[in-house]
Amino acid sequence: MSNAREKKRAKKMRNQPANVTLGPPAGEPRLSPAQHCNGGSRPLQPQQQADLCPETSEQYQQQKLPHPSPGPSNRKEQYFTKGQSKGERGRGRGGWQGGRRGISQEMPKFITASTFAQARAAEISAMLKAVAQKSSNSLVFQTLPRHMRRRAMSHNIKRLPRRLRETARKEAEKAVHQKKEHSKSKCRKARRRHINLVLEFNRRQKKNIWLETHIWHAKRFHMVKKWGYCLGDKPTVKSYRACYRAMAKHCLLQDLSYYCCLELKGKEEELLKVLARMCSKDAGPTFAAVPCLSGRHQGSLVLYQADRYPEDLLGPITFIWKPKVGCGLGSENRQLWIWMHPTLKQDILTELKAVFKCSEPVATCIPETVTVLPHEEEPTDETRSIGKKRKREDKEGEKAVPVKKIIGDGTRDPLKSYCWTSQNTGIVISDLTMEILRYRLVGPFSHCVLTEALSAALVQTEMADAETELNSWWVENCRKSEGLSLHLHQKDIFELLQDDEKVAQLTLEGVPVECAHSFIWDQTICKNVTESKLPEQDLNRMRSELLVPGSRLDLGPRETKIPILLVQQPGKVAGEDRPGWGSGWDIYLPKGWGMAFWIPFIYQGVRVGGLQEALKHSEYKRIPHIPDDYPDCPAGIQFAKELESNLFEKFKRRPPAKRANYVKLGTLTPFLCPWEQLTQNWEERNKTQAKSTRMSEIKRCVTEKQAPNDPQPRVGTESSHETSQMEENMETTCSQGNVITEILNEVQDLGKKDGVVASNRFIVLRSTELLKQLSAWCRPTSGRGWRGRTASRQGQKEMTEDVLLPIFKCYPRALVWVTFSLLRKGTPELHTMVCIPTKEDFLHLSEDKLFCGPEEPKHSDIFKHKIVKLKERKKKKDRGKTLESSASSSLEANAVEEQKNLVLGLWCDPLSDVTSHCSRILLGFVTRGDFSLADGCGEALGFVSLTGLLHMLSSQPEDKKGFVLLRTPGSRQYRFARLTIEV
Amino acid sequence: MVRFKHRYLLCEVVAEDPRCRRCIDERAVTTAAKGALARAYGDYGLACCSIAFTVKYLNAYTGVVLLRCRKDFYRLLWSALPLVTHLESRGQRHPCFFHTLHVGGTIRSCQKFLIQYNRRQLVMLLNSCTNKEERESIQKSLLGCFLQEAEEEQFQSGEEEDDCAETD
Repeated sequence: MSNAREKKRAKKMRNQPANVTLGPPAGEPRLSPAQHCNGGSRPLQPQQQADLCPETSEQYQQQKLPHPSPGPSNRKEQYFTKGQSKGERGRGRGGWQGGRRGISQEMPKFITASTFAQARAAEISAMLKAVAQKSSNSLVFQTLPRHMRRRAMSHNIKRLPRRLRETARKEAEKAVHQKKEHSKSKCRKARRRHINLVLEFNRRQKKNIWLETHIWHAKRFHMVKKWGYCLGDKPTVKSYRACYRAMAKHCLLQDLSYYCCLELKGKEEELLKVLARMCSKDAGPTFAAVPCLSGRHQGSLVLYQADRYPEDLLGPITFIWKPKVGCGLGSENRQLWIWMHPTLKQDILTELKAVFKCSEPVATCIPETVTVLPHEEEPTDETRSIGKKRKREDKEGEKAVPVKKIIGDGTRDPLKSYCWTSQNTGIVISDLTMEILRYRLVGPFSHCVLTEALSAALVQTEMADAETELNSWWVENCRKSEGLSLHLHQKDIFELLQDDEKVAQLTLEGVPVECAHSFIWDQTICKNVTESKLPEQDLNRMRSELLVPGSRLDLGPRETKIPILLVQQPGKVAGEDRPGWGSGWDIYLPKGWGMAFWIPFIYQGVRVGGLQEALKHSEYKRIPHIPDDYPDCPAGIQFAKELESNLFEKFKRRPPAKRANYVKLGTLTPFLCPWEQLTQNWEERNKTQAKSTRMSEIKRCVTEKQAPNDPQPRVGTESSHETSQMEENMETTCSQGNVITEILNEVQDLGKKDGVVASNRFIVLRSTELLKQLSAWCRPTSGRGWRGRTASRQGQKEMTEDVLLPIFKCYPRALVWVTFSLLRKGTPELHTMVCIPTKEDFLHLSEDKLFCGPEEPKHSDIFKHKIVKLKERKKKKDRGKTLESSASSSLEANAVEEQKNLVLGLWCDPLSDVTSHCSRILLGFVTRGDFSLADGCGEALGFVSLTGLLHMLSSQPEDKKGFVLLRTPGSRQYRFARLTIEV
Repeated sequence: MVRFKHRYLLCEVVAEDPRCRRCIDERAVTTAAKGALARAYGDYGLACCSIAFTVKYLNAYTGVVLLRCRKDFYRLLWSALPLVTHLESRGQRHPCFFHTLHVGGTIRSCQKFLIQYNRRQLVMLLNSCTNKEERESIQKSLLGCFLQEAEEEQFQSGEEEDDCAETD
């Protein structure tokens, strides 16, 4: 019986009279002494009576209502006495035997009326108590018979019969007390008044930043509080497929304003010199890539801590340079925006500050930041005339400044500076988080949406209003001839987007550099635009005053011109299928204009996605998602921890009998991916294998020397040479291979340096060359599409011991980002295990057309008996507690503490060898898996151990290269999948 | 709500010998009742009545016993109770018989009856009192139980408030 149930029962039985029996061996202990002493005299002496009387009453009292002491202890006592009486059934109650047993052993010779009366009286009182107390949980009026029920009885006590009124009154008071205090100081009308609404909204976004589209999202999305923001997770309507279709065929809109932007300003040379330390050419183009540097393209790369390339990942970022104005000198002042996910911001920012030596927020920066404060106030007179805030102003006197909606980051501390300058280089780092909005349009129709929703600004040379500085920057720009021509050029290009053919032409030629110029780079203009925004109310009023309702409102020269920046997103770049899938536009806006752009986009018929849709987008693009799929960066580690605890909580919420027993399923870690353990185990495996192979290799070398005529000359020569001679050999092969070996050597050196440090950390392989090599190795050499691939295979090396050895050496603990697509049935899930198929599996696969995959044999639950034992001990301990209150051995308690983390169905902490736990050798884990609507089969993304992958590839037959087995944590069925590496 | 309906038999154990009171305990009463049932109605009757048969309350001092039985078969138990001639406990036999005072559908009703019954008994006792001291003591206990009642009411309310504090 559960504890709660017992408690409930104890409470219910509290007032019920307990059994009263006489002491077992010696007759009536209570009555006898007196009587015996009396020597047979009939009447009871008053003193005896006095002795007796309190005794009886006391006994009764003790059972029924011990003391008016605090409840819990009271009840517990009661409960325990109950239990005891239950246990000692038939022997009578301990209390009654008391210490008196020894005093007299004799029987009473007679009985007096008074004792009889005493007993009766005691019983009456006990029964009275039991009867008077209602035992059920129902309210008083509920216990009345039906014909006595009256309407509104529950809150009008006078409807009850008089005898119940007292109790009902108490109950009513209790209910009132229980009710939550709902302080609605104002009436609804007051609460909904605009100014109060804004106040309330401002209060609510103090903790978590709201995006500008928050209200819009909150009405339509499941909101989550993540990373210090309130973000839409997924739409409340059913739209999984619809969102996919929008991504693939139409247009999906997303608010990415929560992405953080860091601005670096300074000399180009200086910037590049320092930034080069944080990224590596090895992992793709860097900040200095030519198309990006000119400002024509947005670049993306992975940042590392300075000079720590293969380790200590900071996170993936995108960056965009402000295009050069004119073709000036090489080392002019440049502006660079680095966009990153909010989880990575702190790490990157601190690292950047350290690298650029910008430790101090310099005083010169402060005024600038102060002006960028979120609490900007519009000219008061204007708002006052419209806002009609009568009472507020009267009340608060000097605080009559109208409340302004928070634009930008509401959590920012206004006194803190968000700008740092380097003393010696003059580089300025500023934090532009929430200063610039960013929307993303995904899908082929995003061009149309853009062109339909936006229109290029009209050229304006006259100031609309002399007093306000509305559009002054634009007028200034239009007055300059070069600015005007640039704008016209941009307008032409923008209008080209409408036509698909012209878009194709555009993609061939590319957008000219000068068109990448935008006024959004200029802080002052952005600020001007944000401040000079016409209130929605004014606009609506003007709209209502239109002669023809619903016609277009023409503001003429007062129309605000807003600088924006359009950035094309490339879509799916890697891999062979679906090239350019999910491409689209990113649109950067100055803050404050969020809804003004959002609604027109919505009216163009786009579908809006949340975080889940972003995740799906990255899944179909087969790129790692931030921060889930970066297990080597701090944010990724943090994410994995949270995920684990969430999943564990979810697991524990199920009743124990309905939980999956992962121990029996052979799943070591259903809630997390033990990357460190995996890489470590593979490293050990590799070492032991290397030892054994070295022995055999020596033998083989001897035999090969004896037989010089090889069927495969290249392989033969390479494998027969020593490692030192290998490099010479490589030069003769081809250029690409050459590059690889060079890189390998470089990294080898690095590895040697780091070898002393003996880092336990695993890394994720991001060297493009090596990845290309690997992806070539992964492909089966025969079968469909082979011919097409031969071209790319031209320059590749064969997989031999000599090529592999340096890789093993410099990347002993590396993971590779891979994609899986299932051959037949099966949908992979999160934390699906990737295993190496055995030869028998391949045999079976080729023989049987319907063979889905092997099955994992049932494991025995080795923890079960431990848990059972633990439970028993606990039970015993509980029993012990009831007997001897608290004194239990501390040793036992310690043992219990130790094994407390044992949960039935899960492995306890020190994991055994992860790789060889199951019947198939573990290679890696899936971090993202689902049924792919694009391919119509299960698809998964995940990481595998580099060492393990190479081992597997080297041992697999040619036509079955890259075949793996996937097994979800909740099943024993393995499924065949093909592994590919997309570079 | 569907519930099992019971009948509660409120009995009094009547014995000549006061020592009999010692052996009034749960087990003795149960065995005695069951034995009588078996003798009267055989295995069938015994089995019928032993469904949910328990001794809900007993008081050795007053000899009051509250038995529970399923409503369908309480007649069997009722008619078998007079056949109980003795109680046996710890190897001692004491002749006695059961006097059924009340048959009720709830414990509560039995309790209510018992209160009335006891009061009547006390009043009778008072009337038939022979000497003064006895009379005084009985009066005292009679008053005491009424006084206690009042006290208890207070007490209960206090307790209830405690409870409120807990549950909140």
